[in-house]
Amino acid sequence: MANKRQLVKRRKAVRNIRKITRTMQLIATARFQAMFKRVSASKPYSEKLAEMVNGLAGIDVDIEDSLLEAHSDAPRDATVVITSNRGLCGGYNANVMRTAIEHIDRTAGSGTPCDVQMVGKKGIQYFRFLKRAMTEISHLGDTPKFETVEPLANELIARFRRGEVTTVHVVFMRFHSMGRQRPDVIQLLPLAPEKKDAGAGPSSVGEGASAEAGATVQYDFSPEPGKLLEELLPATVRIRLFTCFLEAAVSEQIARMVAMKAATDAAGDMIKALTTQYNRARQTSITMELLDIIGGAAAVQ
Amino acid sequence: MATDRQFHCSVITPEREVLSAEATSVVFPAQDGEVGVLVDRAPLLFALGIGVLRIDGEKGSQRFFIDGGFAQMLDNNLTILTSQALAPSEIKADKVRQLLSEAEAMSITDDASWIARDKAIRRAKEQLKLAEQVG
Repeated sequence: MANKRQLVKRRKAVRNIRKITRTMQLIATARFQAMFKRVSASKPYSEKLAEMVNGLAGIDVDIEDSLLEAHSDAPRDATVVITSNRGLCGGYNANVMRTAIEHIDRTAGSGTPCDVQMVGKKGIQYFRFLKRAMTEISHLGDTPKFETVEPLANELIARFRRGEVTTVHVVFMRFHSMGRQRPDVIQLLPLAPEKKDAGAGPSSVGEGASAEAGATVQYDFSPEPGKLLEELLPATVRIRLFTCFLEAAVSEQIARMVAMKAATDAAGDMIKALTTQYNRARQTSITMELLDIIGGAAAVQ
Repeated sequence: MATDRQFHCSVITPEREVLSAEATSVVFPAQDGEVGVLVDRAPLLFALGIGVLRIDGEKGSQRFFIDGGFAQMLDNNLTILTSQALAPSEIKADKVRQLLSEAEAMSITDDASWIARDKAIRRAKEQLKLAEQVG
């Protein structure tokens, strides 16, 4: 009897847990859709900005902007690591952290001191546990907003211009598609031409084809092209960092969706197994009682 | 300036496309004053300042507070990229006033902080002006 009751209790507990994980999965799905919308909504801005930079690339400008090359001979790296504030999202944070630590150790190993800027509570907890040095950034919340990311970008740009750091990297979970997210390291500064996405066409800063395309349009500029570029490039850096945050947020929700789906499925399997066990225990006790009765009846005769 | 010919105007922030509409005339704040754009304007690429963007089109006149950014006119397509575009109804006067007093209290130690203070004050004042004009 005791065994039976215990099984019933466990099955009830697992059922409740399944309810919770299923709800969390649904929430993650809804959040993912909202985040995905934000990523799509930010695309026009970055595309237009790249187009404007290209429009300038055709003009004969002395590209001597301070964001294109390092300002100090002493190499020093700043790395922004984007992790999540909440757990229960499978291997999401672990994957980001592994890539981050690999990158940091490699940079430090080649003799470049590396300042780590850790975004997200999970990464902060992990680095505290490892007793590694970092700057903690935990005020950004779950939905990245441009107005909160912008100051961070501005600070990085300022430090780069002052020569305090010579490179800036970002480690985050890149969103390739619904079924594919990979941790990635990108170089934010010095500004490098964006990697060409499949079918996106040339988007490099001032090379061959784009230079020709840009040269066909005679723009009116204000202020002069050089000054304009000085404004456009920081804007490019800001939007790139913002895009990293958005992609990380989308990837986080996908990871949570997958993890919660797995948990719900596992709970379902467990309920099945427990039900089988319970039925067997029930059948055993019935058989025992029957045997008792038959045995008693036989003894009476 | 009633012309029946229109051009396309879109206002884009990093977070969303705020507006995409046909317009007959657009006035935007450049860094050294306001610039007006009409249909068939020659291609332009301008850096924007802090101020009020005015778009006259089919839906009447629309105003936005914009905070820096860039404007591009190409083939009758005007694109305004800005980090922030606020419609008058989105401006919270109380909060802006608080920001203004905070900005005025900022200490000036060097050129950079002077510029930062100046920008913050202008940002707040332009928003207030726009909110008062409409509201």
